[in-house]
Order: sequence, then C-alpha cells, then structure tokens
Amino acid sequence: MPHRKGALAFLILLLLWPLAATGQQPARDIPRMADGRPNLNGIWQTLSTAHWDIEDHPAYAGPMSETGAIGAAPAGRGVVDGGPIPYRPAALEQRDLNFANRRTGDPEARCFMPGVPRANYMPYPFQIVQSDRDILMVYEYATSSRMIHMGEPEESLIDTWMGTNNGRWNGDTLVVEVTGLNGLAWLDRAGNFVSNQARIEERYTPIGNAYLRYEARIEDPTVFTRPWEISLLLYKRVEPDAQLMEFKCVEFAEELLYGDLTKD
Amino acid sequence: MRIRALVLTALCGSLIAAVGAQAHHAFSAEFDINRPVTLQGAITQMEWINPHAWLHIDVTEEDGTVASWAIELGPPNSLVRRGWSRNSVPVGIVVEVEGHQSIDGGRRANGGSVVLPDGTRLFTGGSSPDDNGDQ
Repeated sequence: MPHRKGALAFLILLLLWPLAATGQQPARDIPRMADGRPNLNGIWQTLSTAHWDIEDHPAYAGPMSETGAIGAAPAGRGVVDGGPIPYRPAALEQRDLNFANRRTGDPEARCFMPGVPRANYMPYPFQIVQSDRDILMVYEYATSSRMIHMGEPEESLIDTWMGTNNGRWNGDTLVVEVTGLNGLAWLDRAGNFVSNQARIEERYTPIGNAYLRYEARIEDPTVFTRPWEISLLLYKRVEPDAQLMEFKCVEFAEELLYGDLTKD
Repeated sequence: MRIRALVLTALCGSLIAAVGAQAHHAFSAEFDINRPVTLQGAITQMEWINPHAWLHIDVTEEDGTVASWAIELGPPNSLVRRGWSRNSVPVGIVVEVEGHQSIDGGRRANGGSVVLPDGTRLFTGGSSPDDNGDQ
C-alpha cells in the first residue's frame, strides 16, 4: 500500500513538474544555434521613431525650412522607460543646446559613427553575424560595426565611437556591457547624449522567430541623476532579397564638414 | 555562404584600413628625414582620432618661452597594438618625443617614439621610419 501511494505521488509530481519550473519558459519557436543558444543571425531594423527622439515627442519641424516637410520629425512615443530622461540641470542645458545646433552639430549629419545604443535604432538595417564564438554587428549606416567579445571580458583601453563590447548569455538573453564610448556620439537627432563615462548594459531577447526585444540600461553619473532604460522592438528583415546596402556618407557630408575650406 | 562572405569582407576591410594607413601618404611628403627632433614637454592634449592620433605637448624653449608642438602618431588601433592606452598619456605628464620635424619647419613633428616618465618607450606606428611594427 505505501509503495503504491508513493508511486502515485511520484507520478503526480512528474506530471506537474513543468508547471513548477521557475523562471521564464524558453521560447520554443526561435531559431537556435547548435549549442542551444538563440540564433540571432539575420538583418534587423526598428520601426520606432527613436532615431528622431528617444523621448515622447509630437511632430516638429526639421532644422532646415528649405526642405519643408521632408526632414521634419514624425510624432512618436518615447522608448525611454518611465518618462523624461533624468538629466542633471547642466546636462539638460547641454541637450537643449545640442538640439538648437542639430543641423550641423549632430554627428549623424557629419557621417560619424552612431555609437551605442543609437546604432541599433537608426533608420537603416543592421546585420548580426553570430558565430559559435563572438558576435559581429554590422550597420548599414556608414558601414559601422562592432564586435561583441563573448569570452573573457576585455578591458576598454581607449575611447572609441562604438565602444568596447563584452557579451554573455543570461538564459535566452544576450547581455552586452558597453564601456569606452568616446562621448561624442548622440543618442538621437534631438541632441540627447552621454559622456565618455557612460556604461551601457544592453539586452537582446528573442520573443518570436522574427522579433527581438532590445533594452539598454544607461548609467552615467556625470550626465544623469540616476540610471535609466530604453526599450524597443527590432524586427527581422525577412524579405528573400534582404541585404545591407552601401551607405558611405562621407561624400554627402563633405560640404558640411569642409565647405568653408574650398578655394571658391 | 553570405554570412561567411560578409565576415570576410569585414575582416578584409579592417586589414585594408590598417595597411592603407601606412600607404596612404608618404612620410617624406610632409616630414623631413633630415630634421630629427627630440622634444621634452608636458602633455596638453591627446587626440585619439583617425587616420592619425595627435599628441600635443608644451615644450619650454631655451629662452624660457613655451611653445606648443603637435606630434603626429599612427591610428588609435595601431597605438593600442603598441601598448598605448588612455592611461598612458594623461594631461600634465612630461614626456620625451623622438621624431622628425615637418618640412615647413613649423612646430609639428612625426613622432617615432614617446618616452614616459617611468622610462617606458612607446612606439607610434603610422608612417614613422622608426616604428617597430605591430606587437
């Protein structure tokens, strides 16, 4: 008798075990690498208006009245969690100054590399190339790229546009710690920015076979009063002919950068 | 197949950029091999930029005046491969620079190597004929 009760209890436990499992159920319909990790290979792009302005914003005029409605910012919900960015007062003044000078001051106008996290929500696709070791992200905009080191974290030796990127897996989420940014890139076309003291923690979580949730925690005590987060969706470009095109924009920026140096 | 091609292209691109930096201009077009200079000065600024990083130092001349010199280095990536980091060259430390002055005689030089206060010699990459190559 006791054995049968024990066996019954064991059987019930076995059937109910999946419900008792703590933590997230792994998504079953996402592509995976041979080692079971999510396969993030593919071309990705956001549909948000974050590249215009990562905060909530109505439509507003562009910096050049000559182009009329072309170059105006569409309305968009912010991607910042919890409302406005928590700037320090002096930094907020700098942001507003950036906005006023954005026609020439925006590093995007000068074809400088977009930095992190802006590169991930530019209005251009980017490609994730995931090997069984490191992960390469290649951006159509200005052929920027960055290597996510997946082994022992590398120290950032110098400040660069795209930073030093160290990645690890946390379940099905790719976590990337970014340091060594040079503080010259902006976060959007509205003048939001970080300094070279910024530490960014990105999280890439597949939520289906063609969607990535992208989150980034931004910490920079010299600019903000506390860390804050952004969150947006990345969509996979699944057209059969999807590919990165060439957008080498230096020639487009030449007049802006060097026009005053020409002889005539 | 496409992924492999993309990775190869990215790698080749960075290789070409590294080799190209040494081929993109001749040392002799801008600097004078017959004007070697040894400068001692305090660092005022370090520009980690491409295609050439620039080290700015204040040199005290014999008559006591202070002159600002600009020292051309290799690209930041080449510097990192030669042991440089942002902590190597903080503003204010006094360094000794060996290099070659510009053809026009201005206060600009192509740096061959930089000696730090503790005696460490860092080579500069770029187009310097004194460079010791990637480490």
